[in-house]
Amino acid sequence: MLKLISPVPVFCSAAIFAAALPAFANQYTIFVGNLAFIYIILTLGLNLLLGYTGLLAFVNAALFGIGAYATAIARTKFGIPYGFALPLGGLAALAVGVVVALPALRLTGLYLALASISFAQFAVWVFAHWDPVTGGPTGIRMAAVAYGFSGSWETVHYYVSLAICIASVVVTSNILRSRVGRSFVAIRESEVAAEGLAIDLTRTKTTAYGLSALYAGIAGGLFAPILTLVVPESYDLFQVIVQFAMVVVGGLGSIAGAIFGAVGLIGVQEALRATKELQEIAFGGMILLTVLFLPSGLAGLLRKYLPEWREPLRRRGDDR
Amino acid sequence: MTDAPAKLEIRGLGVRFGGLVALDDVTLSIGRAEIRGVIGPNGAGKTTLLNAVTGVSRPTSGDILLDGRTISGLKSSEIAARGMRRTFQTSQLFRGMTVLENVMTGLHANMRTSIFDAAFSSARVRREEREAAEKAWAALEFVGMTRFADRDGGELSFGQQRIIEIARALVSEPQVILLDEPAVGLSLNRVIELEDLLRKIRAERGVTVIMIEHVIRVVMNVCDRVTVMASGRKIAEGTADEVTSDRNVIEAYLGSGFDADGQKS
Amino acid sequence: MLPFLLTSGLTTGALYAMVAIGLVLVYRSTGHINFSHGELFMLGGFFAYSLIMFAGLPYVVALFLAVILSFLLGVISDRLVYRPLIKAPGLTMVLATVGFSYLLKGIGRYFWGGKGEYLSIPAIVDPAPIFINDIPILPQQLIVLGAAVAFMVAFALFFSRTKAGKIMQATSENPTASYLVGIRVENVYTWTWGVGAAVAGAAAVLMTPLTLITPDIGATLLIKAFAATILGGLGSMTGAVVGGFAVGLIEQLASGYIDTSLQEIAAFLVIMVVLVFRPAGLFGVYGQRRA
Repeated sequence: MLKLISPVPVFCSAAIFAAALPAFANQYTIFVGNLAFIYIILTLGLNLLLGYTGLLAFVNAALFGIGAYATAIARTKFGIPYGFALPLGGLAALAVGVVVALPALRLTGLYLALASISFAQFAVWVFAHWDPVTGGPTGIRMAAVAYGFSGSWETVHYYVSLAICIASVVVTSNILRSRVGRSFVAIRESEVAAEGLAIDLTRTKTTAYGLSALYAGIAGGLFAPILTLVVPESYDLFQVIVQFAMVVVGGLGSIAGAIFGAVGLIGVQEALRATKELQEIAFGGMILLTVLFLPSGLAGLLRKYLPEWREPLRRRGDDR
Repeated sequence: MTDAPAKLEIRGLGVRFGGLVALDDVTLSIGRAEIRGVIGPNGAGKTTLLNAVTGVSRPTSGDILLDGRTISGLKSSEIAARGMRRTFQTSQLFRGMTVLENVMTGLHANMRTSIFDAAFSSARVRREEREAAEKAWAALEFVGMTRFADRDGGELSFGQQRIIEIARALVSEPQVILLDEPAVGLSLNRVIELEDLLRKIRAERGVTVIMIEHVIRVVMNVCDRVTVMASGRKIAEGTADEVTSDRNVIEAYLGSGFDADGQKS
Repeated sequence: MLPFLLTSGLTTGALYAMVAIGLVLVYRSTGHINFSHGELFMLGGFFAYSLIMFAGLPYVVALFLAVILSFLLGVISDRLVYRPLIKAPGLTMVLATVGFSYLLKGIGRYFWGGKGEYLSIPAIVDPAPIFINDIPILPQQLIVLGAAVAFMVAFALFFSRTKAGKIMQATSENPTASYLVGIRVENVYTWTWGVGAAVAGAAAVLMTPLTLITPDIGATLLIKAFAATILGGLGSMTGAVVGGFAVGLIEQLASGYIDTSLQEIAAFLVIMVVLVFRPAGLFGVYGQRRA
């Protein structure tokens, strides 16, 4: 019986539940579910950088935006079908992510945090001011995706997001079970020791930045059509906070934590949708309270109450 | 010293930090499968020597040769890739990873599968991972630590972590390993086990070992030769018996508050 | 145009320098960057706004009360965020102060924002420009510049002459030794957070009559202060002041002579360029780094 409460069966049940949901849910639930899948992808990507590799970089909101803009531009300006525009969004973010990573490789700790928070603000400024490409403050409006199935396109999009979300979880888990994931954690724990084992810091960190950017970009590509509007505010510093809150509340360095954090906090965000100030208080407050009282997040509770729960390279909770 | 060519040669090595001379004109020649002890009072420059040899800090003068080829000026990961591994004074076992996974990180440089293989868990990556796990298991067996294979690296005692660090250093079959105070903080039983392990490394692996050590009995029992350092310079070299009766050495130790056992008095 | 740009640049630069001082003060003593420092600035401005507009107090009285309230806010930050995490790794502290910054921003928006409006304090003196040799000068700018400089001089005197200032300096240089000579280091940290916030609050009250204040202004000011500290070398108080004036001047000159939009992004560009080419800051020394 206890064996059933282990990652693979639980994850499969959740996926089956998510797949069945549209049969008995309204449009709004489908919209929220879709958002949750997108944020799971984002949180997994940020977790690779922050939770596993230990790099404190505030770049993922901007890369999320770059994925969304690239997808929207590919569709509206070049008439590229969504099936190709979506991966283009991912690749655009990957390219920018790697280019940004190169100077960032020299920076650690606070310097990385300062430089990357400036980059995040700079990216929003570019979105708002590069009118010929990004449409400036009014952004880019795009049509619904014509999937060619009967029924609402939102439901089809829900399944596309779900499929990519499941793929991201599987790929993340595979990576963490490999040399690549172990190298990330080795660097987080001690750069000097990792180098002493012939682990190439430059290459490994670039891989982490690139992977994280790819996740953010694909999430952006999925996010662009569901609002049918891509505007700079969606990718500002508040977006940074939303993603950080999900990673921190869920638990740094845990896949299950990323899923809990994303799903739970999307719920909070939707409940407070009308009032930005309450969202800010809730997300800021949750980060602070988690850091103060539950440093390993919800994943820490999982470790405490379900010690049988196994996950690759799960970060330990007693790190302070 | 044997007549065979030296495995590791350090010639006139100097390290300065700003105006501070941490290492001054140190010359060492260490043979294959030799266990070389490096002793000296605190601040003698032993760890600086180790850091310079492994590329953690950059030498300001002199040369380091591994098998007759210079390695000074290379990045620490490049030096490691040429077959040199080390352990640390404060254990650096990775938390969030099992002991087996920790030892597997020692093999990363020899693993060839790409990120794409990893992402899709291809047959190649699964085979390579299995082989790595087997080698890591064998290394844990060699140091007698397989019973901890599944534990988190951060959960173990200080002494256990240091032995596993040695397994992680040995797993890639390096030519030279450098140990920074492996016996510090171990109980007497553990110290005896460590001595056996070091002899076994020399006998079965043919690895050259350079070991900084404060616990003099380990140095006396296992080191082929001993180099004594004080204030960044080499002050004596020879067998353990030779150096412990050397007047310079006794002065260096007594002058800094150590008794003949190398313990702080 | 040049004299006008220079006075504007020096005035905003003086305010950036004040915000940067608080950032560096906390960094020097604790080794952490307070990412909620911009929100302490923002709330200081709103305190003064309420004191003037609702309580009807004169500007100077409101200024001093707002400084005291900001000081208390800094003390609360220390007790709520810093002290419980004093032994935590740097990453945890960044996450905590980032979370706290949004908590404060939400509180600011709840009480003073919400309608997308920008609030403003009435001008201290007649806002019309006066002309000296045909050069237009805003008297209000001169007053603000003078007051900011006076604040910084007062701060420098406090730091170098008073006992409290000397203790703060000693603690930041060597906490262990300070502890050994009987200084209660934790209490000094509380003072440090309080004084840092108070200087930021004063800057906000000086700035508000010139520009407008919004709940989102904290992030903007934080970036300017980062740019100032990075330009001056993280950890150097003099560097922060010089860096603050430099950022103010760079912004104004770049917007006057190249393109107005550069005013908004000059600070980002300064940070990114400096960190890419000189990761320790222009005047920074690696030895000063503590994190």
